Amino acid sequence: MVGNITPQCARLMQQLAAADFFATDMKLYLDTHPDDTKALEIYREAVKQAKAAKHAFEASCYPLCAESAGEGCSWNWLNGLWM
Amino acid sequence: MFIFEKRLEFPVVIKNRNPKLASYILSQYGGPDGELAASLRYLSQRFSQTDKRAVAVLTDIGTEELSHLEMIGSIVSQLTTGEGARSFDRYGVGDYFIDHANAVYPANASGVPFTAAYLQSKGDPIADLTEDLAAEQKARAVYDNILRMCDDPDVSGAIRFLREREVVHFQRFGELLDLLQAKIK
Ligand SMILES: [Fe+2]
Repeated sequence: MVGNITPQCARLMQQLAAADFFATDMKLYLDTHPDDTKALEIYREAVKQAKAAKHAFEASCYPLCAESAGEGCSWNWLNGLWM
Repeated sequence: MFIFEKRLEFPVVIKNRNPKLASYILSQYGGPDGELAASLRYLSQRFSQTDKRAVAVLTDIGTEELSHLEMIGSIVSQLTTGEGARSFDRYGVGDYFIDHANAVYPANASGVPFTAAYLQSKGDPIADLTEDLAAEQKARAVYDNILRMCDDPDVSGAIRFLREREVVHFQRFGELLDLLQAKIK
């Protein structure tokens, strides 16, 4: 396994995985229930939570997306757990 | 298009090494009911769909299957990290080591390489979705078999997650098939 992660970042990663998974699952549900307005509301809220969790992770750990990389003065895209 | 995120859908951290277990789980990487077959099946079938809901379901589930392929690769890799030729041999999987060492190669549990013959793309939504329903159940059955072979909680937690996703995908494909059949009538 290439790379490593601190216990604090592993906790933030767990929170991100849980939040984003909820959004992923709601997305699949909406594909076959596009007129369910209650589900749509839940989905929008889930996406908001997932974005916040991703931001929290990237702010104190390492970039998860290349577009968040390189904001310091180093190519920090290489950092973190790759798989 | 696809954008890579440097994380797994379900984080996997495995403390113990077990090349034998890795060789079983490899079947869900490149085997007949594995995640590579699943993702290629759905992401190929999506091109010939005419119903927007069908395109969306196949795209979104096919994409999730790619994340599952990545998880399986990570599990196989972690289970063999640092193990050498002798260890593979002691675990009874020396033949895998001869061809691939510690690499992850798309093959089934007995070493047969991946083939696109594992999947279909018919240009017929009813035929495609009926195959997809069966594929999800077959993948679920393989995960059940892996759980029967596995007593490492770090591994079985991730396998249980993947098994559960097959059940959800089966549900969504079933709803989609009902929707398309209602449209035909
Ligand atoms: Fe699936």
